[in-house]
Formats: sequence, structure tokens, C-alpha cells
Amino acid sequence: MDFKLGEREELLRKSTREFAESEITPRIEAMEETGEFPLDLLKPMAKLGITGLIAPPEYEGVGLGYLARTIVLEELSRVCAAVPMGMQVHHMAIACLNDFGTEEQKKKYIPPLSRGETMGCVAVTEPSGGSDVLGMQATAELKGDKYILNGRKCWITNSHTSDYWIVIARTGEGPKGLSAFIVDKDAPGAKPGRKEHKFGLRGANTGEVVMDNCEIPKGNLLGQEGGGLGVALKTVSESGRTGMAAVALGILQACYEEAAKYASERVLYGKPIAALQAISFYVAEIYTQLDICRLLCYRASWMKDQNMRFDTESAIAKSYTCEAAAQCAKKAIEIHGANGIALEYKVQRLLRDAMVTISAGGTGEIGKVVVGRAALTPFMKKG
Amino acid sequence: MERVIVCVKPVPDPKVWDRLRMDPVTKTLIREGIPSVVNPLDKHALEAALEIKDTYGAEVVLLSMAPPDARPVLREALSMGADRAVLLSDKAFAGSDTLATALILAEAIRRIGPFDLICCGNYTLDGSTAQVPSQVAEFLGIPNIMHVAYMGLEQDKRLVITQKIEQGYVKIAAAPPLLLSFTKEANKPRFISFLEILAAEKREISTWTNADLNLDESLLGLGGSPTKMADMLLREKGRQGLRLEGSPEEIAHQLANKIGQLGFI
Amino acid sequence: MGEPQIWVFIEQRRNVVHDVGLELLGKARELADAAGGRVAALLLGDGVLPLADTLISFGADIVLVADHPAMEPYRLLPYTQVLAEACRAHQPDIMLFGATSLGVELAPRLAARLKTGLSAHCIDLQLDADSLLLQMVPGWGGGVVATIKTPEHRPQMATVMPGVMKKLQPAPRSGQVIPFTPSEDLDLSGPQVLEVHREEPQELPLETAEVVVAGGFGVGSPEGWKLLEGLARLLGGAVGATRPPVDEGWASEEQMIGQSGKTVRPRLYIGVGISGMSHHVVGMDEAEFVVAINTDPKAAIFEVADLAIVGDCREIIPLLLNELRGRVKPS
Repeated sequence: MDFKLGEREELLRKSTREFAESEITPRIEAMEETGEFPLDLLKPMAKLGITGLIAPPEYEGVGLGYLARTIVLEELSRVCAAVPMGMQVHHMAIACLNDFGTEEQKKKYIPPLSRGETMGCVAVTEPSGGSDVLGMQATAELKGDKYILNGRKCWITNSHTSDYWIVIARTGEGPKGLSAFIVDKDAPGAKPGRKEHKFGLRGANTGEVVMDNCEIPKGNLLGQEGGGLGVALKTVSESGRTGMAAVALGILQACYEEAAKYASERVLYGKPIAALQAISFYVAEIYTQLDICRLLCYRASWMKDQNMRFDTESAIAKSYTCEAAAQCAKKAIEIHGANGIALEYKVQRLLRDAMVTISAGGTGEIGKVVVGRAALTPFMKKG
Repeated sequence: MERVIVCVKPVPDPKVWDRLRMDPVTKTLIREGIPSVVNPLDKHALEAALEIKDTYGAEVVLLSMAPPDARPVLREALSMGADRAVLLSDKAFAGSDTLATALILAEAIRRIGPFDLICCGNYTLDGSTAQVPSQVAEFLGIPNIMHVAYMGLEQDKRLVITQKIEQGYVKIAAAPPLLLSFTKEANKPRFISFLEILAAEKREISTWTNADLNLDESLLGLGGSPTKMADMLLREKGRQGLRLEGSPEEIAHQLANKIGQLGFI
Repeated sequence: MGEPQIWVFIEQRRNVVHDVGLELLGKARELADAAGGRVAALLLGDGVLPLADTLISFGADIVLVADHPAMEPYRLLPYTQVLAEACRAHQPDIMLFGATSLGVELAPRLAARLKTGLSAHCIDLQLDADSLLLQMVPGWGGGVVATIKTPEHRPQMATVMPGVMKKLQPAPRSGQVIPFTPSEDLDLSGPQVLEVHREEPQELPLETAEVVVAGGFGVGSPEGWKLLEGLARLLGGAVGATRPPVDEGWASEEQMIGQSGKTVRPRLYIGVGISGMSHHVVGMDEAEFVVAINTDPKAAIFEVADLAIVGDCREIIPLLLNELRGRVKPS
């Protein structure tokens, strides 16, 4: 087992870190206040290679793998998690199109995403539930050479900043009755709905996608009719979970840095509080969680790059890292004493951001369902 | 313009400078565990060279005199967009002062071939003498301009340089071949794009020793340097270190007294 | 090896002599007097001959003047040519330059042309028993001084930052003014000066201020910074900064004191909310009297302070301002 990262990964990390510190830091205040995604960052991010990171070169992407993606998202998140939240869903759309699209669809829809001309969006969750995918109520009916879509998706990242959404809707009964579609925002009957006001990941655009007798061309069916569940599951379990895990990982890194910095500088009883064993233990715990989560995240991404099946590992990485980020943010706040609850200090945002990652892209409980199944299957008796 | 050579130096990362320590015995810097970065001003020099590459399609060659562990720093500079790198590494070069260093760099430049421009950072963070650029230019017999705050490309390869001076600037018209030393006002170095990182993996870093330069060894290194380090002493602090105690009012009062005593009020 | 010939390059712009040249004459005079040597000032320009007497009164025994239209404005290559020829003709032992933007360009070029050694930013110069120039420069971490020698090559060249050496009181002295004409034709090809633009200095230049009030991150806010500026004004001093206030936008890059900024040697330095990292301390630890105010009793700045105040500058500075205002003598 080789745990060493190469020069390429180190340069990706360095480049992203410099970009994030220089270009994203000044945007944080506005994001926290307005909840709006800084769309003017799309072009510089495209130039760097963030928007087209996992897109193949033939669709104007950089063609890097998931380990590279995890490192890049982690570095962006270390500065402000809302930005890579938007980007990781953007990548999900690219992955989805790349895995299931026809050549024509890929040629049309991936390059604008690679170039950062628009953001990508994958719309699965409905008011009836996100965890309960089969309970979805959005419908799609084939009428002549058009599909007519009806339904409402909610808690969708990039709902308002995307020019086209990938929507899962019912074309038939049961698990083989879901299909995936590419819906252009200006298709008749399509529009973004309300915007959500979240207490964390505030700069990430979250909202509703509404289809009211929305007409899309037949050719916008993505994959096979009835194959929609597979599209949703693969996209969410692969690019979705590893992306969310990377976002949470960056938050965890920030928790560690803020905690260690504060503990080393704050003087009480004539010494920095880091000299107090209790405080140093808290920092050690945060550091340990950070190390664990980094290994989980990198391992899951590495497996994808090796074309191995990794949905259990991605579920572990996602559910564990998001939970750990929230716990460590809480500890980091406590290390800050009264300053920890002051809005002037960064550390309160880390807790708010981490909490939002816990249920985004798959709840912790669903994660455990996946892992439980994998853990028990080898022991289940047949028959 | 066809070729621009950029001198690049790895220096200790300024973010960890407070960790730098002198070895009291060898009187040199302890470099273990201290990461190296591209000298920040060299990035401005490289950015200027890359602008020329973008405009004229010139080849950008990096040149560095450093130990072999400088390769990752050169790879990073290549990832900004330079075409290839030449690393001058030889025990004979170690301990060179600015004159010997300039001699080595100038000879390497001659062997790289014809060039239009040489771009350097105005000074390095670790040595800070700012002497090497002028000396390299002298050995090559070309003009040099320091403190470049702006490089304007005109028609026919002409340049109009804004040179920063105390409380002002000088505008200078110049033409290649020329050596320019850049300040940080000159430009904003581009971020390293991921595509360039991938492309740079295939770019060449050639290592040259004195065998490639064929310089007289008596002119190199510690022995060949006209300036010699004679001694290194810990500065006598000689500070009184008197603590002023009391309430803020009392402290302010005592401090005001002292300032009066010194004659400033 | 006695009787060293010590040369000082005199920088002038528009016939105004830069102070650093006079400071170096002061130092050269001191060294020459101790070793029985002579001091020559090198003056290049157009219509600068009248400045020669001033240079003598500040310590020069000889003034070598190249007074010629081609010497105005300063251009690197013609100046290098003239100085190189003068050096070859008269073989000085030592040659000193101010580490100004001009000096930092010219001195190395000349040193390379003469194939001799040059040390930069010397904080002190001495002569040893053999009249060899000892060039003291700051070492790593700020707490270290390195001594550099140029045992064999000549002239021994050094640059010195403005404000480091002291001018003499000008006194009536006798000296020789020798016009110097280069024997070769001046090469006037090469970069051409199109325009020279100088602004009037807004504030007292940091490097020569007698009082420096410097602030660090501990000052806390732009309002706090204004108080600092008020303190500097009251004491007739200049405001300096460490890197964080520059990054915050409270101070300009020109006000930054330290290894990558300015070096100051004021009579009084007051460091407010400054932790005392070595890259700042190198820029100020030659100040005569250092006062430091910081909330952290372990702050490194206290190692170089004469007067250490552990406290909150945001409380103390306003109180100090009141105390001082009460003592200002009506003028």
C-alpha cells in the first residue's frame, strides 16, 4: 500500500489553496449575508481547471480523476465550503452525462459545464423525500416526440444557477419505472422555484426545480427509459458521496487549523492554553479525526480511479466525515471560549457548514443502511 | 521575440521563517524540514516572460543554480507555463557569492543559446542582495534595468519600462537583448492551472554541472568568491528590558515621562 | 597596507545630493582618520561642480567630478563606464555606495566590470589592523551579525542603507576638486530615459525619522491605527508597520519595516501590538531606545525592548496621548 501522494497531487493542492485563499476569501462575507453563489468565480475556476476537472478532454475537460477532485474540493472547502458544495454537484452533473449520455448529448451539454459557462445540477429529491427515492412523484409522459414532465424537486443545489438540470421522474411503475432527463431551464413549463435559506453552506445556491407540463424533446432522455434509478444511484453514490465527503474534509481541516492556532496564541494563566493538557487533548482528537477522514476520503476516491466498486467505502467516507466535521467544529468552538460564538470568528461558520453537509447528498442514516447491508451480507444465510 | 530566460531561485518558504535557525557550529542555515518555494519575485519575472510567450510565442526557459532538491520547485515554475528548465547543480558552485554566481549563470545562459530577454526577480527573500541580475547582465554584455514596475511591449520588440525609484518612477525605452528585474507591482502572477500541471510533467528539467559549463574552478564556489564570510556573531542584545508595571493610567504616565526625558516632547 | 583610499559614490538627482552620500562620507572620514587614509567623493552629473565644496565640508579630501551633459540623467551604462575608468586609473582600496534604488543597480554592475567583491546592506563598516574593510551585514534570524571581507580583490565594495551611517557636522575643510574626463568615448547607446517623475514625499521618510511609531496586528482596527498616527504626529515621527497591518490595508507597503521592508534606526522606536517576529526585528533592532506594548508577556518583541509594557495598546495609547498633550510646550 502506497500512502504517498505524488508531485501532481501536491501541485494541485498548492494551486487550489493559493486560488482559494486569494480569490474566495474576499467573497465569504457577501456569501454569508446574501446566500448567493459568487458566479463571477466560475470563469477563474474554469481557467484553473476546477469546473472541468473530471470531464474528459474531448469535452473540454481536464480529465483528472477522483483523488485529484477530492484534493481540490478539500482545499476549496478549507477556505469556504459553500463554493465546493456548488462545484461538487456541478461535477455530479458532468459524471452523470458522461456515464449515461449519448455522444450527441455529451457534446452538447458537457463542454459548457467544463468551460464554467453554467453550473451543473442533479435533481432527485422531492418533498416526498430524498432518502425514499422510489416514493418520488414527479412524472414524465411521452407524447409524440416530446416528454411532458410534471413535478417539483426541492433542496436542489444549483437550482437557480444552472442552465439545465438532470431530473429523475417516473415513467412507469416500480423500481424500473424511473427515468432520467436533461431539462433546459428555458424549456416551456420549467422554472426554478423558491430559494432555500440555509443556516450553513450559505453561498451554495439551494432551491426548487418546478416542472409544470414542462415539454422537453424526446432526445433529452438520459440513458434508457426505466434506467433512472441506476442513474440516480450511481451518480449519488459515486461522485455525490465522494464530493460531499471532500467538502466536509475541508471543513475539518479548517477546524484543526483554527483550534490549533487559537490554542497556541490565547494566553491564560500566563501561558498559551495549548499548554493545558485538556486543550491539547481536544486538538489531538480533532487531528486524529482529520487523519481518519482524510484516509477514508482518499481511499474511496482512489478506488474509483482504479475502477473498483466502492459504494460501501464512499458511504463510510461520507457519513463519517460529515459527522466528524460537525463534532470537531463543536470542539473547536469550545476551545475558543466565548470567542467561539462570536460572528467575527471563523469557527462558528465551520459548525454551521458541517451540520448542513450531514444530510446533504445522503443522510447519515441512509449511509448506515448501505454499510449495514454490506457488512451483514457475507453472514446472511441463504434461502 | 523567440526566447526568454527566467532566473528562478528556491528560497525557504516565508510562511515558516520564524522556524529558521542558524547552526551555531557551521554558521549556515538549517534547511531540514523547511519547505522551499519559488522566490516570490521570480514569479513576477516568470509572469512577464509568459506574457511574452502568449503574445509572441517565445520559448520560456527557466534557469536555476541550486542543489538537486530544487527539482519540485522548478516543476512548480514549469507548471506556470514555462517550456523547460535548466538546473545548475555542482558541489563546485556551493558557497558562491554574487559575483561567482553571476559568472555561472551567465555562462549557462550563453550555452542555452540566443535570447531576447532575461527576467529576474528584483531580489531574493533569503539573500536580498539584489546584486546578481546586474552582474549577470554585465558578464553577458547586455543592458539591465532593475526595479521594473511595469513592462510595456511596443512594436518591433521595443519595450517601455517603468522603473520604480524612491518617491517616483522613471520611464525607460529599451530593446532586446536586455535583462530586467521585476518588482511585485509589475503584474499578478497567474494561478497554476491543472492542465499546465499535467503538461509540465512532460517538460524537461536538465541538470548541468561544471562539466557542461567548463568554467575555471578557481573562480567558483567559496574559493572563487571575492567576498568571504569571516565571522558570525550573535548580536549582543544589550537591551535594558525594564518592565513598566501598574494600571494603564500609571503606565501611560511613566511612559510619557520617559519620552519627555529622551527629549521628544 | 595602510593609508587606504576610500571612495564614496555621491548620488545626486537634479543637483541635490542624496543624504546617504554625506552619511557615507562621514563614515569614510572616520575610517580614514583612524588609518591614515584619504577620502574621495565621486560626483557625476551635469552642472554639478558647485556641489564639490559641500562634499569637502562633509569630509571629502578629494572630489572627482565628471561634469558632462551625458551624465544627466543617470543612466546605468554610462555611469558604470565612467566609474570603472576612474577606478582603473586611481586604484581605490574601498568604494562605498548608498543602497538606494540607483546604488543597488550601479554598484553590482561596477563590481562585475571590475571583477571585485561587493557586500550589500552593511550595517557597520570597520577597518582591521591591516586596513582591510570589515563589512558587517545582518545574518539569519536577526540576532546574528556576519562579517564579510574582500581579502584580495579591489576595490572592496559595499553598499549601505540610508540612515545607517551618520553625517558629520559640515566644517570648513580643505580639499581638492579634480575634474575627471573619461578617456574613451562614452557609449550612449542602450536604454534611454524618457521621463523621470518624482513626487513630493507625503510623510517623513521612515528611514531617516528620529521617532518611529510602528504598529502590528495587535492595533486591532483602522480606528486604533489612527491613534497610532496621532501619536507619531505628536512626537514628530513616522509611522511604520509589520506585514499584517499592510495586508489589512491600515498601512501602505512603503511603511513596512523588516527584512523585506525598510530598515530604521530611530532614536526612539515604539512598537505597538507587534509580536516581534525576527523578520520585523531585523528592520528595527538598531533603534537607540525601544518601547514595546503587547498583551502577550512572552512576545518576542520584549527581547529587544528597553521598556516592556504588557498591556492592551487600545487602552494605553489613548491615555498616553492625553499625558503627552498635557506636556507639549506651547511654541
